[in-house]
Amino acid sequence: MSTVESRPSAPARPAADARRAPGKPPKGFDRPRFLKLFVGVFFVLLFAPIALVVLFSFNSSRSLQDFQGFSLRWYETFFESESLRDSLIASLEIALLTMLIATVLGTMLAYGLVRARTRVSDSLNVLMLVPLVTPEIVAGASALLLFTQVKLDLSLTTIVLAHITFSISYVTVVVRARLVSLSREVEEASMDLGATPVETFRLVTLPALWPAVLAAGLLVFALSFDDFVLSFFTTGESPQPLPVRIWTQIRFGVRPTINAIGTFMLVISVLSIGLALLLPRLLGRRESGLKVLLGREGA
Amino acid sequence: MSAIRFEGVTKRFGGLAAVDDLNLEIRKGEFFSLLGPSGCGKTTTLRMVAGFDQPTEGHIYLDGEPVETVPPYRRNVNTVFQSYALFEHLNIEDNVAFGLKRKKVPSDEIRTRVAEALELVELHGRGKARPRELSGGMKQRVALARALVNRPSVLLLDEPLGALDLKLRKQMQVELKGIQREVGITFLYVTHDQEEALAMSDRIAVMERGLVKQCSSPEDIYEHPSGPFVASFIGTSNLLSGVVENGCVKLATGASCVAQVPSDCPQGAEVHLSVRPEKIWLDELEEGMVELGGTIVERVYVGTTTQVIVELGPGMRVTALEQNTARVGSDNRWQIGDRVRLGWHREHARVLR
Repeated sequence: MSTVESRPSAPARPAADARRAPGKPPKGFDRPRFLKLFVGVFFVLLFAPIALVVLFSFNSSRSLQDFQGFSLRWYETFFESESLRDSLIASLEIALLTMLIATVLGTMLAYGLVRARTRVSDSLNVLMLVPLVTPEIVAGASALLLFTQVKLDLSLTTIVLAHITFSISYVTVVVRARLVSLSREVEEASMDLGATPVETFRLVTLPALWPAVLAAGLLVFALSFDDFVLSFFTTGESPQPLPVRIWTQIRFGVRPTINAIGTFMLVISVLSIGLALLLPRLLGRRESGLKVLLGREGA
Repeated sequence: MSAIRFEGVTKRFGGLAAVDDLNLEIRKGEFFSLLGPSGCGKTTTLRMVAGFDQPTEGHIYLDGEPVETVPPYRRNVNTVFQSYALFEHLNIEDNVAFGLKRKKVPSDEIRTRVAEALELVELHGRGKARPRELSGGMKQRVALARALVNRPSVLLLDEPLGALDLKLRKQMQVELKGIQREVGITFLYVTHDQEEALAMSDRIAVMERGLVKQCSSPEDIYEHPSGPFVASFIGTSNLLSGVVENGCVKLATGASCVAQVPSDCPQGAEVHLSVRPEKIWLDELEEGMVELGGTIVERVYVGTTTQVIVELGPGMRVTALEQNTARVGSDNRWQIGDRVRLGWHREHARVLR
């Protein structure tokens, strides 16, 4: 990521090249020294705020400016608070349920879209992307409106429902990309060899889709776990999911506990995304999870 | 009893007939090829036998039984796909055992039959490898073993050698033919490669736009093509246009060629005279040959033979093939621009409508 193409496609002046001693880096604008610095600054800016949160979550004093020594007191406050603990459990429950249901539904949708090949499936493919670009505040408001209309009391259930709606699209996009690269002939070969359509799905299609399904599921877990806007609109009184809970607390002043909670959430998110990237390899697949997620793997 | 019988089979996609009123009978134990350019309906025909496509009209009989209502997974046929379609998540053994496991064959029998099948395609010892670790030719063999191990009554092969390079393809042609003779299973082979079809088949059906143009043995199709399409698709052929006149074909150059004019070609009918390049003699002609004169316009040396292109008249050229045998001076017997006499035995020319 941090290395930049060292040789631009335009040929350098041959005379200058010839004079240079072998192995010595050439001087001039075509070398990435300047670009390396640029990339370095970019990453510092990207990660510095996060690093600060992590650092100050271990601060022994209340101060948000001076780091005065290492301590775990803010983590202790976090886990000792019953309401925060409940929120954490609620968030984990929401993310887990969303992951399970959205993964199953999204995979089924992807299968239908790719294999049915009706005249409308192209338009459906585009429609499916709408939830990905809908402003979340609109999605949240409309979900709230819907739940009020059908007189569904706001609770963890309503949050899960709202999360599933937007998560299905993510799963479908990821699984679809994998499914498209799976030749129809492979499924035909399975049926040709005596497997019923159901057996074919179980024995041939699903094993080929596993990396994508798992990666999509973990991605959804991470998205659902740290979602704020949708949760804010659809949450009931108590327990509130962790991000909403943090926001409520911040209104009464920023306390260092926030740093501890933030760090904790960061770890969970990074773990699930990391797992999504690693799992395909752990399952003995050659393609990396990144490629699976981006749908860029070879057939 | 025939292995496969097509009775008036038609398949339409939209309004277009991919296969049009197909009537064919494929005998048991036969190596039968469907040959034609892409889009001629040969693959559709194969897919209908496998059960992936349903005929719009007509019936297909496998071993005498109609199969319209039988889904692919209950038909006693197996397919070798062009893309091999191996299961990437299974090793070679499990790929080959896939069909037997579905049929609930006892596991020790599976083991021996898989081993036999891998032996047959010379892949013993590679059973634990994954498909992606194998070369194209090896994958092809696995696909073959995976199908053959089920002992189907018919094996369907959809351009199985299409993805291989020329040398490997030639080698696999010989091996496939040998395997077919060894196992005695009916092979229905789809290809667009005429040489491949000629080399392996007992019989060939040449297809064009959903219709069978000719169905016969390789020799018969090559020597006695039924029409201009077959004559030009199978090998190369000189097609000279002319009209029927008193039992001869009068060419556009004015020359008259004695030929066996079929009874359905009346006086004045427009026909093609088809002569294979290797049947054309140059200069040293024999008694009773059809004789024409022309000018040499091109010589193309292609190793074992030299193509000599002769212009008979404006716009009418024939290609003759000279064997480059050890004859002295054969490499420069003719120069471009030389006048030359050429001829052929009358039975080697076919009159085609």
